[in-house]
Amino acid sequence: MISEMDKKLMRNAESAKIKDAILQGVYEDNLTMSAPHTKPVRSGQPGYRLINRILSVLLTTVLFVLIQFISDPIYQQSTNPVAFSEIASILPWAEIVHDQLAGPSKVLQPSYVADSTPWPVIPFNAQRLLDYNLLLNHDQVRLSSVFGLDVQTIVIDPGHGGRDPGAIGSQGTREKDIVLDIALRLRDQLMQSGRYMVLLTRDTDTFVSLADRVRFSNLNKADLFISLHINALPQKQFNVTETFYFGPPSDLYTLRLAEQENRGSELLTGDFKNMIKKIGDVLKEQESATLASTIQYSLFSNLKKYDRVIADNGTKIAPFVVLLGVDAPGVLVEISCISKSEEETNLNNPAYREKITSSLEEGISRYLTQRHTQIVKGDDNDKKISKNNS
Amino acid sequence: MTKKSAKTTADEKLLVGIDLGTSRSAISADNGKKKWVESYVGWPRDFISRKVVGKPMLFGEEAVEHRLSLDMYRPLKNGVIKEGTARDEEAVKELIRHLISLVQPSRNDSKIRAVVGVPAESFKVNKVALKKAVAEFSEALFVVSEPFAVAYGVGALDNALVIDIGAGTVDFCIMHGTVPSEEDQRTVLTAGDYIDQQLFTFLKDRYPEADFNLNMIRRFKEEHSFVGTVDKDVEVEIPVEGKSTVHNITDEMKRACDSILPAIVESTLELIAKFDPEYQDAIRGNIILAGGGSQIRGLVEYLEETIGEYGPTKVRVVDDPLFGGADGALELAKEMPEEYWTEL
Repeated sequence: MISEMDKKLMRNAESAKIKDAILQGVYEDNLTMSAPHTKPVRSGQPGYRLINRILSVLLTTVLFVLIQFISDPIYQQSTNPVAFSEIASILPWAEIVHDQLAGPSKVLQPSYVADSTPWPVIPFNAQRLLDYNLLLNHDQVRLSSVFGLDVQTIVIDPGHGGRDPGAIGSQGTREKDIVLDIALRLRDQLMQSGRYMVLLTRDTDTFVSLADRVRFSNLNKADLFISLHINALPQKQFNVTETFYFGPPSDLYTLRLAEQENRGSELLTGDFKNMIKKIGDVLKEQESATLASTIQYSLFSNLKKYDRVIADNGTKIAPFVVLLGVDAPGVLVEISCISKSEEETNLNNPAYREKITSSLEEGISRYLTQRHTQIVKGDDNDKKISKNNS
Repeated sequence: MTKKSAKTTADEKLLVGIDLGTSRSAISADNGKKKWVESYVGWPRDFISRKVVGKPMLFGEEAVEHRLSLDMYRPLKNGVIKEGTARDEEAVKELIRHLISLVQPSRNDSKIRAVVGVPAESFKVNKVALKKAVAEFSEALFVVSEPFAVAYGVGALDNALVIDIGAGTVDFCIMHGTVPSEEDQRTVLTAGDYIDQQLFTFLKDRYPEADFNLNMIRRFKEEHSFVGTVDKDVEVEIPVEGKSTVHNITDEMKRACDSILPAIVESTLELIAKFDPEYQDAIRGNIILAGGGSQIRGLVEYLEETIGEYGPTKVRVVDDPLFGGADGALELAKEMPEEYWTEL
């Protein structure tokens, strides 16, 4: 038993400094709890902000002209942007924008109603332009929660298979076998919650082309796509874990549009669709980046226990074909390097593969929990808005 | 009550430390009150059961008693709120509301500032959800991991290892002068409940005619659990065909308790080995057991002996395993600077 005396001695021995540091740590820990993850993902990618800025300029232009366009009565009859009005009706714009602007600035109440008016007459308003722009560019606005999207179907894609063995270790271990085993385990673990449908692009040792993997995922309307791979490096002493996601679309398109920034209206009918698509792209990218960071985090922090010198390459943007084609937010995980002989031995151990599976599952769960919480928050916002309106 | 005095109480702050456990939850308040409940929340199954139990919701012991009329929830079973189970989330919320009401003199007359300790695993996975659950009842709150709260409570802030043996999980936490990171913590899922299940199976095998349930098993464990050897055989009364009969359960109890030891020893050694070699001895010399499992007879000696093979080891048990977490959380709440509360 710890006596009062002991306790006092212990307390005295600890300097007040340690206590202060700990209390501050608890405070900081709790501060970050409300806005997890988005920041760390971004900070690793300096390029992201630039792209974001370009995207922002583009969208501002598109929206600017769009708003002029729709406020012109001549064009009103000829356009029926159902898609947008449908989306618009479910967006808690005002609330979000209000939060972002944080001040007494006037916030527009959404005046559009889904079906009674085909397209509302909104006079040009710079504030509104800013509103949309904020939605797409503010780091803290997560589109999945804005749209209340939930995850039902998860597609896991064990790389290679059949005649394509993938990377091969010096002891003859083949990537295709390891990732298939991990994928099967991961499916079982994820299915246990009973909440998600989990599908595999292959559940046996068969060859599946990249195109077929993409088709499979899109046909099954996957909400998340996770591709599993094992890396091999020429430098055999290294072991690296990294997670990739597909980045923003090529800059060419952005540039072409930026050139035409001032020319205006003839562009717009076509680009309206692009804007909607852009929302989709931003969404896919936001979600992929977040998923990649949660998976990478838990994978690395767990693998580190087995290989102290394993390197954390973090999350990276890369143009993997399989990620480009899949509609759902997706990541490609390079779990570790089979080229390092110790790692190959580990990978041959089922208990180790189970550990890997658990860390993948932990990362995915953390992502899903976080996403779920944000959606719930979004629902609360909706309720608040409807209360205010009534 | 005059208007003025009403206003004074409204401005009063009540500091509470809450230990949200898988099996039992405890609360300590700075007004000196301490309460605990079994972490069960039950909602009446239907209109009739609502009439029978006479309340819209039951907690703890009372819920267990009326379990047949209730939909029972043990919200942090296995140490985490189950993914997507709205009812479990609600149960957590109600449990906290209930705990606070136990220490609050009369409702809503003082502002609550809370520090909530939760199972380490839940801290990792559900902290945002948990925070949301508590936010409703408190002016400001901090969520911390339970073993950390225990460590803070006993002042083991540097070079110490807390092993919190609960019902659903055994949580490990190394303290080294800062807030422990995820790497400093570990969770093992074979804990008190696992002993119950093992004991249940062993006894069913040996005494197929005996009539017992998990609740009784849990009581046997709490009274007689041990590691190593005991001077006196463990004998309990279990009904056989309605007649109370004495059964010797020494071997079964031993096997059941032994079943959680390998994971505890392995995790302890692993956590210490990962730590800076210079401090490993210091940590081994400052191991603190908390939670209900710390009461297992002979556990301290067993751990000192087994881990002692790697170097001098000292294992101690917290004074009050039931309130260790809540008291630690309260201690944190008391020492938290005012600006942290307000800025949060």
